[in-house]
Amino acid sequence: MTQAYVVAHVDDLPEGRHIVVEVRGREIGLFNVRGRYYALPNACFHQNGPLCRGAISGTIVANAETGWKRTWVSEGEIIVCPWHALEFNVTTGQCLAYPTRRLPTWEVKVEGTQLMVIL
Amino acid sequence: MQSSTLTGHKFKKGDMLVVDVDVHAHESPAALAPYCEMPWRKSLEHISTVPARYLDVPGFAPTIVPWPSFPQSGGDRRNTVTSAAQMRQDLDDLGVDIGVLFPDHLLSHAALKQADYAVALARAYNRWLVEEWLTQDNGLKGAIIAPHHNPEAAAAEIKRYAAHPHVVAVYLPTCCVDPLYGHHRYDPVFAAAQEAGLPVMLHSVTVVYPVFPFNLQGFETQFATHLLAHPFSLIANLVSMMETGVPERFPELKIAFTEGGISWVPWIMLRMDKEYAERRREVAILRDRPSRYVRRMFFATQPIEEPEHLGDMATLLTLFGGEDSVVFASDWPHHDFDHPSKVLQIPLSDEVRRKIMGQNAMRLLGKASLTEPAR
Repeated sequence: MTQAYVVAHVDDLPEGRHIVVEVRGREIGLFNVRGRYYALPNACFHQNGPLCRGAISGTIVANAETGWKRTWVSEGEIIVCPWHALEFNVTTGQCLAYPTRRLPTWEVKVEGTQLMVIL
Repeated sequence: MQSSTLTGHKFKKGDMLVVDVDVHAHESPAALAPYCEMPWRKSLEHISTVPARYLDVPGFAPTIVPWPSFPQSGGDRRNTVTSAAQMRQDLDDLGVDIGVLFPDHLLSHAALKQADYAVALARAYNRWLVEEWLTQDNGLKGAIIAPHHNPEAAAAEIKRYAAHPHVVAVYLPTCCVDPLYGHHRYDPVFAAAQEAGLPVMLHSVTVVYPVFPFNLQGFETQFATHLLAHPFSLIANLVSMMETGVPERFPELKIAFTEGGISWVPWIMLRMDKEYAERRREVAILRDRPSRYVRRMFFATQPIEEPEHLGDMATLLTLFGGEDSVVFASDWPHHDFDHPSKVLQIPLSDEVRRKIMGQNAMRLLGKASLTEPAR
């Protein structure tokens, strides 16, 4: 049974910022990426590091599309774990180093000036 | 005090003793200067004016970094520990009872040229360690540096601190060491450590260029150099010590290898046994297969391998008697530290877990004075 929890005021989370909130005893990272809100668990699957206390960044890809050249992409979408630098795309929960590993994500709703997470 | 990001991520250890054989104290040139003899104190005071980088200070921690660097980690992660109080707090957050201190910058101590300077630095570090970090019975223990540049001076340092209640190991800088530790010039070091009942702990770092493993310049990323430099320098020194019979000539000497993970151990053990069968005459000082000596050595977990099926790690341990010789290490607070929970995820019996997390280390470090901290 899902439920909406008020977790922050929109002023707490300007564009490009992220914060960690606690909901039902669970730490959740809230992100504002170019005006859209995302929520991820504050726990990296690798060694349970506090993922969402890391820095937001872009990342490097090198593939056929880039002509195999190292190219900086996804600026503002990548959270980097402060423990061992594993990278995750905030908008999807996808881990960049492990193609089969994706963190759960939760819907964030805006009601007036309140941000709500649906758990 | 900057946050460690460790708070709130504890594991349930119950009454399990956790000994961490590799944590790092931050010894800036400025911190060591008051403990350093002249004229080298002048040098440290001068170096103190140079902006410090992570494990990279010219003339103190010489690092060759010919690779591009990108921002990787972030948040409030701190990768230095500058006081005993801070280390004790961090180890409490990690769930560690006893931690063995190694240096930060002086991981590359063997790369320093000029023997007098290197010996003075080692002496200054040892004084600083004992006077600033090892003053209480709070579970903080230390490994003193043995400067390879002058084995007699190194042996004198071991004798000087042998009776100190919180000095529990001799650190052998393994990056750039030349000649390798099997060379007979190091016999005084091993004799002193054996007599003192202190283990020698080989610890490497990535600056192994331009000596073993040479050809690191052939790679273009730290992905390659970091993953190869650590275990390869440990392997080279283990083989070197085997070919001159160090474990046979110093039968009571305890030898430990730190920061290469453990998956290389069965590989080199089996390779040595294979070679020994054909070339025993060359190493006639050994009375049995090299694997029999390897089984008496100790291997620290960090950076612990993380195979897809963690049960593979349990199998790996059985290949070299690791249940009795593997010792937990976190490498806190370095970039690639392991949380104890990662090692505890390996499916092992409670008995083997307790050995690897603490009991094996108590045998390794085993001085009469080493008791579990009453905290």
